[in-house]
Amino acid sequence: MSAARIRAAFADAGVTGRLHAVDLADPTREVAVGADDPVVLASVFKLPLLVALLRGGADLTRRVTLRPDRRSTGPTGIGGMVDPVTMSLRDLAFLTMTVSDNAAADALVDVVGLDEVNRVLRELGLTRTTVVHRARDFMHSMAEDAAPAELPAALADPVVLSRLRALDPTRTNRGTARELTTLLTHVFTDDRYELIRRAMALQVWPHRLASGFPFDDVRVAGKTGTLPTVRNEVGVVSYPDGGRYAVAVFTRSASTAFTLPAADAVIGTAARLAVEHLR
Amino acid sequence: MSKTNIARTAIFEPLSSLLVDLLRHLRYFLVVAEELHFGRAATRLRMSQPPLSQSIQRLERELGVRLFDRDARRVALTDAGRQLLPEARDVLAGEDRLRALADRFRRGEAGALRAGVPPDLGGRAVAALLPAFRVRSPVALKLREIGTAEQLRALADRTLDVGVLRLPFDVSWLSLGEVLTSPLGVLLRPDHPLAAAPDVRLADLNGLGLVLFPRATAPALHDEVLTTCARHGYTPTEVHQAGNAEFALGLVLAGGAVALHDGVSPPADVVWRPLRGTPLLWRTAPAWPRGRHTPAVTAFADAVAEVLVAQGMRPAEGTLPRYPRPAAEYLS
Repeated sequence: MSAARIRAAFADAGVTGRLHAVDLADPTREVAVGADDPVVLASVFKLPLLVALLRGGADLTRRVTLRPDRRSTGPTGIGGMVDPVTMSLRDLAFLTMTVSDNAAADALVDVVGLDEVNRVLRELGLTRTTVVHRARDFMHSMAEDAAPAELPAALADPVVLSRLRALDPTRTNRGTARELTTLLTHVFTDDRYELIRRAMALQVWPHRLASGFPFDDVRVAGKTGTLPTVRNEVGVVSYPDGGRYAVAVFTRSASTAFTLPAADAVIGTAARLAVEHLR
Repeated sequence: MSKTNIARTAIFEPLSSLLVDLLRHLRYFLVVAEELHFGRAATRLRMSQPPLSQSIQRLERELGVRLFDRDARRVALTDAGRQLLPEARDVLAGEDRLRALADRFRRGEAGALRAGVPPDLGGRAVAALLPAFRVRSPVALKLREIGTAEQLRALADRTLDVGVLRLPFDVSWLSLGEVLTSPLGVLLRPDHPLAAAPDVRLADLNGLGLVLFPRATAPALHDEVLTTCARHGYTPTEVHQAGNAEFALGLVLAGGAVALHDGVSPPADVVWRPLRGTPLLWRTAPAWPRGRHTPAVTAFADAVAEVLVAQGMRPAEGTLPRYPRPAAEYLS
């Protein structure tokens, strides 16, 4: 019943959506819509990256310098700055989660290594979630695949999008909605991940998961992921009565427009339908 | 290894090798029967004589009858051999036909292509599409008239091989042919004052309702149209959802509403006027599931492009500037 309503909400917003939601107090209580379909992670890959960082035992107060000519770029955080930045690993982790900083995340990949991220995923029992490249790699692949058309305009052309490796779950960072709620369950039930939980709760974006819970006494801790036609968010919604729900939502929009408020908002709407079913 | 695989290994392989052996033995039988000489037959078959003799003996054992009388000087067909010879020829001819047909399927020259076209494509386009396809491919074309949302479902559950769809739709699992565009105009009642001008601005339509396809059939496109109308200063007094062209026409004739139309053979009792600056266009493209491409699909996509271009549709040209916002998380 709630699955049908969630599907209808996705269709109404012009997206194809996959969702998995689970009650952290009782993992047998769940809502699943295409929860085992392979999906493109986009920046959601930064969550398993930080999980691997915290399990690896690196000194998180160690400071590294990110030089503008060597670091990855992006619209937010260090990725958008112009001067060298020196920062501790834990503050890089903070920027990675709160503003999806590509430069910070890729610097942490240098510390952790992609093989280690995948090893940790397998150790946690996740077999269908795989990280094959860092942020700047899938950015490069988009420019390569779009050529001779130029970014960003080419990213609104459906023919170009149909040939981007970055949008093909067999060839880029991938997972399933169900595996991502499993990962969230580890993060939100084990105190070694406090740093990740705090940063997810301070994530700045209000337009997706958080938009479905417009209540001052409900906390939403999330991590978004975005690529052309891809809009994702995974997170945990906490109610004042102690109820906590892990939700993972992955969508692909029909429209290739970058600015699609309805497609962002349906992530919150679908999550709310799922959480209300579980409450 | 799964149960199915075990069963296949256990049964399918011996069966197939038996069949292939039988066909090979029959082919040798035919040549020996023609030459009536093991040495010459072996030369024709580019093999040595002993394996050829063994093959004929195995075939005789398999069939339980002698096919040849042979002594030191001559080889002759037995009565059974003479009677079985035409049957052997039939079996081998059947194998040839079977392989040839399989080849034709592999090359996309046989079978049927199940294709979908949108209901508003127009009768002339459909009429032109069939011959345009026929000159490109020998397979039968089975056309179905269905809307974009339904085509996507049919492509997903494999009841359709290829479709002609109106963008936008989720392309994440599809390959697209060329995207063609048709600028839209409006259908007006002939006595409407706007019908006197050569073209119409969207903002001039304020005060009129808009007849549009039902939102559920393509929510993304429906919203895109209304957003574009609003951006150009037109907010319809009412949005009528019309599932078919006749009903849309009725609402225009009743007055108080306009309908969008691409101007290709518009209905006779209303007036079509283009929209100034082409703010609205239909974008149409053939699409098929990624990895399920065949020569017939290419032939269909090419035929669609030919027919739609002949009808006045044009390749999409020039893109607007695009400014992704920080929340897009990519590009800077």
